[in-house]
Amino acid sequence: MTFYQAKIKMPRARIGVLIGKGGAVRRRLESLTGARLSVDSRTGEVTIRFDSPPGDPLMPSKLVSVIRAISRGFSPEKAFNLLDDEYVLEVIDLRNYVGDRKNALIRIRGRLIGERGRARAYIEGRTGTSISVYGHTVSIIGRHYGVIPAKEAVIALLKGARHSTAYRIMEKKLAEMREIENLERRLASKETGE
Amino acid sequence: MSQPKKGRIGVAHIYSSFNDTIVHITDVTGGETIARASGGMFVDADRLEGSPYAALKAAMAAAKEALSKGVNQLIVKVRAPGGIKSRIPGPGAAAAIRGLARSGMLIIRVEEVTPIPHDGTRRPHGRRGRRV
Repeated sequence: MTFYQAKIKMPRARIGVLIGKGGAVRRRLESLTGARLSVDSRTGEVTIRFDSPPGDPLMPSKLVSVIRAISRGFSPEKAFNLLDDEYVLEVIDLRNYVGDRKNALIRIRGRLIGERGRARAYIEGRTGTSISVYGHTVSIIGRHYGVIPAKEAVIALLKGARHSTAYRIMEKKLAEMREIENLERRLASKETGE
Repeated sequence: MSQPKKGRIGVAHIYSSFNDTIVHITDVTGGETIARASGGMFVDADRLEGSPYAALKAAMAAAKEALSKGVNQLIVKVRAPGGIKSRIPGPGAAAAIRGLARSGMLIIRVEEVTPIPHDGTRRPHGRRGRRV
């Protein structure tokens, strides 16, 4: 019996990554999630099927975001992080910021990645996220409190801010997130202490 | 709390933004509210309303009330603000679902119902962005 079924479109260029060498990635994803994947490599359509209710009720939506992350340029290892409850995927469409001219997209991708990947690596390091710049999107995987500052920095860069300004905006947001996290932790620990 | 042997099915509408998490349990038609709780009811600071901790508390409170009314199975519908606003559910969404499950609710399935426009309205702040 089919418990849950969904279809996802992905770029044909990324299908090979989802399947992996000899189907290794696909098999691993299937065993981790308990789903069955069938991939149509001609149309780029992926069908996921759960034959029985998964132990984790969030599993179907997690699986969809893993596939989405792979189609947005992430390696399977990074995408598999999304199977964790705390990890989220954020996809930002560059075309909303710079239009769809080819040259504008190339320029803005260069700004996001930076010289030898320095800008991307810096944002990733400070926020504990992974960032993928692929085609007309930039995508971020990480915990909520890291993704928010990283997204701020990326959007600042998309709007034309200097790198230093974008980093400053990111640091401000990071401090804010840390504060919220601390407040929250204190609340939670007070609770268990009582 | 006297609980009927066989519970009824309800729908948990979880609205999760960065600023708050609202857990609203209704019957399957969605027309009758069974229980409702939000993150802001459990924390004092405004900035914590959307946090996972507040979401967990809200979910457990709503679940407790719903269980006492005989609902023990839930279809969960998660939404983010959507439209021109954030389309990914906030930090409270996953925590809220965990809270429902931990309170003894059987979760039948989870759907994402974030409203996505088929090209809706223009983003605010005009061409030059928000000037502060």
